[in-house]
Amino acid sequence: MKAALNRLQSWEGFLLCALILIILMNANLSPQFLSFSNQINLFQLSIEKIIVALVMTFIIINAEIDLSVGSMMGLSACAFGWMVQGGAPGGLAIVICLAIGIAGGALNGWFIAKVGLPSLVVTLATLIGFRGLARVLVEDRGINDFPEWFDALGQQGFIGSIPFALFAFVILFVALYIVLQRSGFGRKTYVIGTNRAVADYAGINTGRHKMILFMASGLVSAFAGLLYAARVGAVRGDVALGFELDIITIVLLGGVSIFGGRGTLVGTLLAVLIVLNLRNGMALVNITGHIQTGVIGLLLIGSVIAPRIDLTRLWRRPSGDTS
Amino acid sequence: MTHFTKLTTAAALLLGTAGAAWADGHSVSLTPGEEINMVLLPKFLGILVFDQANEGAQEAHAELGNIGELLFVGPTPENSTAGQIEIMTTSATQGQGAVMISNNAGDQIVPSAVAAQAAGTRVVTWDSPIPSGEGEDVFVAQVDFASMGIVMADMAHSILGGAGQMAVLSATPDASNQNAWIAAMEVALEDEKYAGIELVDIVYGDDQAEVSYNRALALVDQYPDLGVIMSPTTVGIQAAAKAMQDEGLCDKVRVSGLGLPSEMVSYTMNGCAPEFALWDFRDLGYLTYYTAYGLASGQMTGEIGETFNAGRMGDFTIEEDPGRPGSSRILMGPFTVYTAENVEAASN
Repeated sequence: MKAALNRLQSWEGFLLCALILIILMNANLSPQFLSFSNQINLFQLSIEKIIVALVMTFIIINAEIDLSVGSMMGLSACAFGWMVQGGAPGGLAIVICLAIGIAGGALNGWFIAKVGLPSLVVTLATLIGFRGLARVLVEDRGINDFPEWFDALGQQGFIGSIPFALFAFVILFVALYIVLQRSGFGRKTYVIGTNRAVADYAGINTGRHKMILFMASGLVSAFAGLLYAARVGAVRGDVALGFELDIITIVLLGGVSIFGGRGTLVGTLLAVLIVLNLRNGMALVNITGHIQTGVIGLLLIGSVIAPRIDLTRLWRRPSGDTS
Repeated sequence: MTHFTKLTTAAALLLGTAGAAWADGHSVSLTPGEEINMVLLPKFLGILVFDQANEGAQEAHAELGNIGELLFVGPTPENSTAGQIEIMTTSATQGQGAVMISNNAGDQIVPSAVAAQAAGTRVVTWDSPIPSGEGEDVFVAQVDFASMGIVMADMAHSILGGAGQMAVLSATPDASNQNAWIAAMEVALEDEKYAGIELVDIVYGDDQAEVSYNRALALVDQYPDLGVIMSPTTVGIQAAAKAMQDEGLCDKVRVSGLGLPSEMVSYTMNGCAPEFALWDFRDLGYLTYYTAYGLASGQMTGEIGETFNAGRMGDFTIEEDPGRPGSSRILMGPFTVYTAENVEAASN
């Protein structure tokens, strides 16, 4: 009982309460909210972002950041469209796109882990670079002549009416949960994020670890870009523009510390559910545009800042504690 | 860079506005007082012409005594594509009778529009259609896209005095209405009459004032002999005219295109934008509403050849869209060319 109470007082407990509140409110305000098809749509409309949020959790726990994920999604989607339009078979194009993702991630990883540049700088540069490549490939026109099976994968149910991307999200969540929360690789991710120097002295190959994380981030982003292309059945140069900010804010809302070392995938999952349910509920009661953006923005400001204010420190300051 | 279906645009020129020929003389008169919930979905919120279209739709909503609700909802400019897809999907979930959309998502809107139709929601596009025509019941076209090209070529011809360099400042690269007009203008420019006009570049200001302003100035830097900036979007033309005025360039570079009289009146009077064109967005919203109401209430089938009565605007006929074979449209037309003579009266 006491353990349960303690758990509820944690950030995850707070998120869970908020989530339940939002779901109750939505169900109360809109008769369609709980319908099966709406629940599927709720995930489908943002599925690519929440898939990338899972790897972003690893990156941020590792005390790094990857700003290039949105551009990599765009690059992968545009490269796919470009190749298919040029007559390449869809299967081959998918493999090449995933390879582009790994290569792009390796490029990030090399500059960060081997050259030692800050990930903020490196991935800001590749954010621009990858997007530029995407725009060069597709120029200004949309491409929509994808193979039929590819469109079907994104737009129809895979098993029953549940789409492929949702399965991918669930499988990836379970797999990454085991890796982060139950494996040596996961523990190293936390240790390096807490203090890289200590991890180095402890004999952990931190460079290799970061390299793997950024390559995984590139791969998953490329995969998510393909999912996006399949879902909307068309690509153009601005696909997934600005997605990185939504992804990073979801992860921070989930309680992952921007300074590294702290956070869980369960927190990220709860944050995903909160943001998606809030968006969906507002859309169903016809709150759109700037107001919707504003409400979610306020929630994020509050939730990202609130847990980081150290109340005891504020309390002590007037007493002249200079240590 | 703009190989956008020159052939089909040429076909559009040949077909012209022959739509009325299909009419069999019978015109559907819509019965008012039905309960149809409808959504008017602009490219994004905060643009005057879309607000005007909403006024027109609200006018028709009251006139037809629809007991249902007419919603005016839209995304923010930064989130236009994802936002339009989200609203289309949500509208289907809500069981809306019709969604009237000025499409800014290109063909990315298709899967959600097809799903909405499958859920019984009618999809009527206005201002900007779905490029492939998939997922769309009918497109309410403001003007014939081919004749729009000729009007822009004529304005450039008159401003340049027959010879000089022209650049296009458009909206977003994938806006199907602007792309079709530019393509139509390129076809029109091949006529001997316009032999002296050189189209040097096409750039995109994303329908955002600041981006468009900077693009316009960049054009002037890049092409020292530029004579006219043609902007087929109300955001772009105003930003370009302001840029030319701010930099004192109006003697050299004039601005033309599609603009709102109330926003352009000062630039027309001081010579920065001596000529521009537009149609009435209130009428466009009004006609779109009548069309969507007729379809969603089952009083119209939406088949090519069908004629219906749209209140104060008179009879209209659904025809095949000459720019998009296999898709249907309703042609509103015509448009007005504004100059120093008539702009002040229209701006009030």
